[in-house]
Amino acid sequence: MKKRKKPVRKFNRKMRTKLIVLFSGIVAVLCGLIGRLMYIEYTSGDKYEKKVLSMQSYDSKTIPYQRGDIVDCSGTILATSVAVYNVILDCSIMTDREEYVEPTIAALVECFPELKREELESYAKEKKNSKYIVLARKLPYNQIQPFIELQDAVDEKGNPVHPNIKGVWFEKEYQRNYPYGKLAASVIGFTSSGNVGTTGLENYYDDVLNGVNGREYGYLNSDSDLEKTVISAQDGNTLVCSIDSNIQSIVEEKIEEFNEKYTDNYYEGDGSINTAVVIMNPNNGEILAMADYPGFDLNDPRNLEELYPKEELKNMTDEETMDVLNGLWQNFCVSATYEPGSVQKPFTVACGLETGTVKDNMTFLCDGGEQFDRWVSCVNRNGHGIETVRSTLMDSCNDAIMQMTYKIGKENFLEYQSVFGFGQKTGIDLPGEASTATLVYTADNMKPIDLATNAFGQNYNCTMVQMASAFCSLINGGTYYQPHVVTKITDAAGNTISTVEPKAVKQTVSESTSLQIKDYLYSVVTDGTGGTAKVDGYSMGGKTGTAQKLPRGTGEYLVSFMGFAPYDNPQLLIYCVVDEPNAGDEAHSYFAQNIVREILEEVLPYMNIYPDEKKTGRNKGLDVTGQNAQYTGEHKPVKKRNENQKKEEKEEETKQEQEKEEN
Amino acid sequence: MSRRKRGEKGTTYFDYSLLFILIFLLCFGLVMLYSSSSYTSANKYGDSAHYLKLQLRNILVGLVPMIFFAKVDYRIWRKFGTLAYLGSFFLCVLVMLPIPGLVRSSHGQSRWLNLGPLSFQPSELAKIAMIIFLAMLIEKIPKQLDKFSSIVKVGAILLPLLGVVAYNNLSTAVIIFAIAVCMLFVASPRYAQFIGVGIAGIAFVVVFILFASYRSDRVDAWLHPETAGDAGFQTLQGLYAIGSGKLFGKGLGQSLQKMGNVPEAQNDMIFSIICEELGLFGAICVVLLFLLLLWRMMIIANNAKDLYGALLVTGVMSHIAIQVILNIAVVTNTIPNTGVILPFISYGGTSLVFLMGEMGLVLSVSKGIRLETIESIG
Repeated sequence: MKKRKKPVRKFNRKMRTKLIVLFSGIVAVLCGLIGRLMYIEYTSGDKYEKKVLSMQSYDSKTIPYQRGDIVDCSGTILATSVAVYNVILDCSIMTDREEYVEPTIAALVECFPELKREELESYAKEKKNSKYIVLARKLPYNQIQPFIELQDAVDEKGNPVHPNIKGVWFEKEYQRNYPYGKLAASVIGFTSSGNVGTTGLENYYDDVLNGVNGREYGYLNSDSDLEKTVISAQDGNTLVCSIDSNIQSIVEEKIEEFNEKYTDNYYEGDGSINTAVVIMNPNNGEILAMADYPGFDLNDPRNLEELYPKEELKNMTDEETMDVLNGLWQNFCVSATYEPGSVQKPFTVACGLETGTVKDNMTFLCDGGEQFDRWVSCVNRNGHGIETVRSTLMDSCNDAIMQMTYKIGKENFLEYQSVFGFGQKTGIDLPGEASTATLVYTADNMKPIDLATNAFGQNYNCTMVQMASAFCSLINGGTYYQPHVVTKITDAAGNTISTVEPKAVKQTVSESTSLQIKDYLYSVVTDGTGGTAKVDGYSMGGKTGTAQKLPRGTGEYLVSFMGFAPYDNPQLLIYCVVDEPNAGDEAHSYFAQNIVREILEEVLPYMNIYPDEKKTGRNKGLDVTGQNAQYTGEHKPVKKRNENQKKEEKEEETKQEQEKEEN
Repeated sequence: MSRRKRGEKGTTYFDYSLLFILIFLLCFGLVMLYSSSSYTSANKYGDSAHYLKLQLRNILVGLVPMIFFAKVDYRIWRKFGTLAYLGSFFLCVLVMLPIPGLVRSSHGQSRWLNLGPLSFQPSELAKIAMIIFLAMLIEKIPKQLDKFSSIVKVGAILLPLLGVVAYNNLSTAVIIFAIAVCMLFVASPRYAQFIGVGIAGIAFVVVFILFASYRSDRVDAWLHPETAGDAGFQTLQGLYAIGSGKLFGKGLGQSLQKMGNVPEAQNDMIFSIICEELGLFGAICVVLLFLLLLWRMMIIANNAKDLYGALLVTGVMSHIAIQVILNIAVVTNTIPNTGVILPFISYGGTSLVFLMGEMGLVLSVSKGIRLETIESIG
């Protein structure tokens, strides 16, 4: 050891001094840096502090509300919102570690068969930093459940079985769902882009059905601390409708059946241009059923494949498609206007009775028509002969009605048309109600021929809901109820928020007039033109209508039937319109009557209305076609509808216009 | 105070003050690390203590070389000087080669070496190797250091290692260079030539910066952080953090900038979070703590038994001082962003383990001090 000992080199004084110099240098530099810190603080402290606060953007997460349901009178859900889930991949988490990637992709591919492994692998390679990749949209819970179970699975010790599944989460959303698809499609309507009601009740009650989104957000309190707050979503309210889904489905079934039978019957195509039925409770204005034809599937409202062959759809322009869709979505019962025909006649008679200008014991001579500036003929060109008021309605005689208007006068007639609500909106709680204000006459522009033709329902326009509501007042003792579909609004928990009470708007006719009219209408069904609609065993009233469409004389008719039962205490009113039935001779109201009879045969027992008459075997064994002469049952069309129209358009100019009203 | 007689064996000294300051710095570092990383690590790993746990592990690993170096007599390292130099040179060359399984790249540059369960940056090893090697070299030729030519000779010996390190990581090369300059400065009786070396070194760095394209982005970010876009983002966010701290800061754990705005807040930019949470006051305290640490090391160097020990301590002291200065200078945007970590506080495994090893060396030197010699310092 001693051998090795060399003179130990010392850290001499000079070196110590230099070390102290070095240390002083270090101290000086650090002091300089502290000075720099102070400088930053002093010059930009406030500015930077504001910058920092302004950069704070805390994730605020929207919590979606659930749109309210639409249910029928017995609580059957017609429209509801179901929770669906979007599968979101946070690729930055999945690729954070090598060992996460494979198990996560494997689990995704296993649980969601529609996902492709190659696609996921390419995400893992190319979109490493992407935090939001939507893998699948709108899956119901039962489809994402296997994945959640896999992710949360634990062994006996409580350790996760698959700890390396990372970066997948689910985004909740609500999707509108219509459990009955086509049922009451044009009444309920549908929503687009989530929660925007587009048609029907969905549109009219959009704000009631929609709730308020909740929010989860952070904010800075006065100490600049982060506070987290959750405002939960307010779910939308539920609509309870007067629609009875059973009645509605019976109605739609019969409409469908009618149109199926008459498809390609005379012309190529559907059984009618439109067939619509409204059933109301005449004692409170509630709509029990409302249907038109053709219907559409609320869950897939833009699908036209059922109506048109594929090749034809391809050739349609977007505009044409949209026109077809709008026509399809339109609620005929509310939005379409037409000339009602003879269904108007009871109103004319009621007006006469009310004003005292027509009396029950009056008689009129029908000679086949009346002469104005042109000849207006009756259905029976040869004339019905002597007509009482009752037999006028039973025979649906135009001549007698025209003669009545001479007594009533246009002032009285127009006043009562206005009382019955023609030319005014009913205010039904459905969107798109057509205004008929410009489609009726006023005292200034009404000529005698206009008065005469108006009196049997030609030459002015109305809507179905207008006609049905007015007719209710005619048979219920004279009270005009505003028609409505929604009877109650409840909140998401089922508590009633508001009830819609029957709204008696006005008294249209006196009770005695109402009784008298009801009596006449009973005769129409029992012994008059409305016999085809009679349901055996039930006392019924009603009125037929066969309206000539514009342009006149082309053979195109809109036939209808208005009926009610039971006769002494009407519980239901049914109004059926068939627009251009597919038949060689359209001018027969029995197209509508057959539908009404078929519907009532099922609806009356369903509504617990018992037969109140002896059965006579009338209309026995008839179906929706009524086995009438116009039904060929061959499905071999003779013509094309539009061909016929084109031809008639040419003829129209040469042919003299002729008013014609039958039945 | 009783004086001991000459020749009597002095009581063994151990610099507990230094150890205490070190432990205090490490603990403070853990607190700040947790504060600055908890938000991002909770988001990323679902565990707010993710970085804290890793750093705790690093400290425990670091204790091994620290205790080892403190226990072993530092004088034996004299024999390993050349070996350390060549070894670190070899490893730095190795890390430049694309050897799969052995070399790991981070942030686009391959700087990591995988050796079984351990992975570390050879450039960190180069720092301590340089200190051991240079202390040995200077001890052999103290007299010759008067001449400028011998300083150039030493420089020529160091150049290969510097070059290899600079190829991978310029800032580490700058640190190694600066450590060498400091050690030579202390050992040499001259002043003037070091001013020349310093100027030359700065000129070299400026030229290097101008020619390396990815680095000139950083220069742009330095001069105009507001308009430099992504490159200036980290700098600017760091400045925002410092500026918004005010005198006493927002309070521990109250930083807003750590919530994703300052990227890798637990690494290079941790000082900006300290400024934001503890304010100017806290920042000055941290600087003072480092000064205290450096002062203790200066005392140890001045009282070291031999030149070799004193030079070792001088090297370690320079190393720590340079890293602190560079880090704070970057955070305050005084110099371009270089990616130098704050010793003992920033997150990082290799660096911490080697730094603790160096502290072990210093403690070992402190053990050699005889108490009577201290009195000459007062």
